[in-house]
Amino acid sequence: MAIGTAKIRVPRNIKKGKPFKLQFIIIHPMEPGTRKDKKTGKLIPAHHITKLDITFNGKKVTHMDVGGAVSANPYFAVMMKADEPGTIEISYEDNKGGKWKKSVKVNVS
Amino acid sequence: MMNRRDLIKLMGAGMVMATTSPLVTISHASEVEKKFKKHVGVPMSKVKDGSSLIKLKTPTIAETGANVPVAIDSKVPVEEVEWLMIFVDNNPVPRVIKVHLTPMNGKVYFATRIKMAKTSNVRAIIKKKDGTYLQAFKEVKVTIGGCG
Repeated sequence: MAIGTAKIRVPRNIKKGKPFKLQFIIIHPMEPGTRKDKKTGKLIPAHHITKLDITFNGKKVTHMDVGGAVSANPYFAVMMKADEPGTIEISYEDNKGGKWKKSVKVNVS
Repeated sequence: MMNRRDLIKLMGAGMVMATTSPLVTISHASEVEKKFKKHVGVPMSKVKDGSSLIKLKTPTIAETGANVPVAIDSKVPVEEVEWLMIFVDNNPVPRVIKVHLTPMNGKVYFATRIKMAKTSNVRAIIKKKDGTYLQAFKEVKVTIGGCG
């Protein structure tokens, strides 16, 4: 898969106002900039996600300042709650100017 | 057979060991404290022990430092929390991630996978909206580092 693609997992049945777990994985190398190339001995330049925002129907849910010490192809999980059906959108950017977003619709009963 | 002279020598060596080893730990601790102040913004003495309120789930031994699962679960109401942070003492960049939570989250919970350079304390730090800080920490032993 290409850099920046994400997979989001939400529960199928979400109860109104009850916190549920939002999990997602992003495909990204997450180079911290402290590793050395074993053949050339040069530092591998940093290339990692720096900012990540989660919104629900346009309202801010969570903001993350991500460092290079998060594992490659990072996995994140947070709790969130919803009072109405809508769209969860995850937008993120890296230190080389890459910007991506991914959204998922949720049904709330 | 041990005579008086040997005994005195032994005692002397023991005293040297007793005096040098605490010094080593103190200098290591102060380095961590310096990093802590730089990345968290407050000295470690201002951060209260929150081990009863914060549940930090990590493996005790990680086979590879490239992929260490960390989960934070807290009883602190999410309305009172400004952010939470994962801090690894012995990493080149100890501030791994800072997560700003809102009441929309419903609960203080965060899980991810992190890289660790070597055996170190993993800390979960919570800043509350009233300006106080809480932390819980756990040592994770790493056999192969994941940052260098």
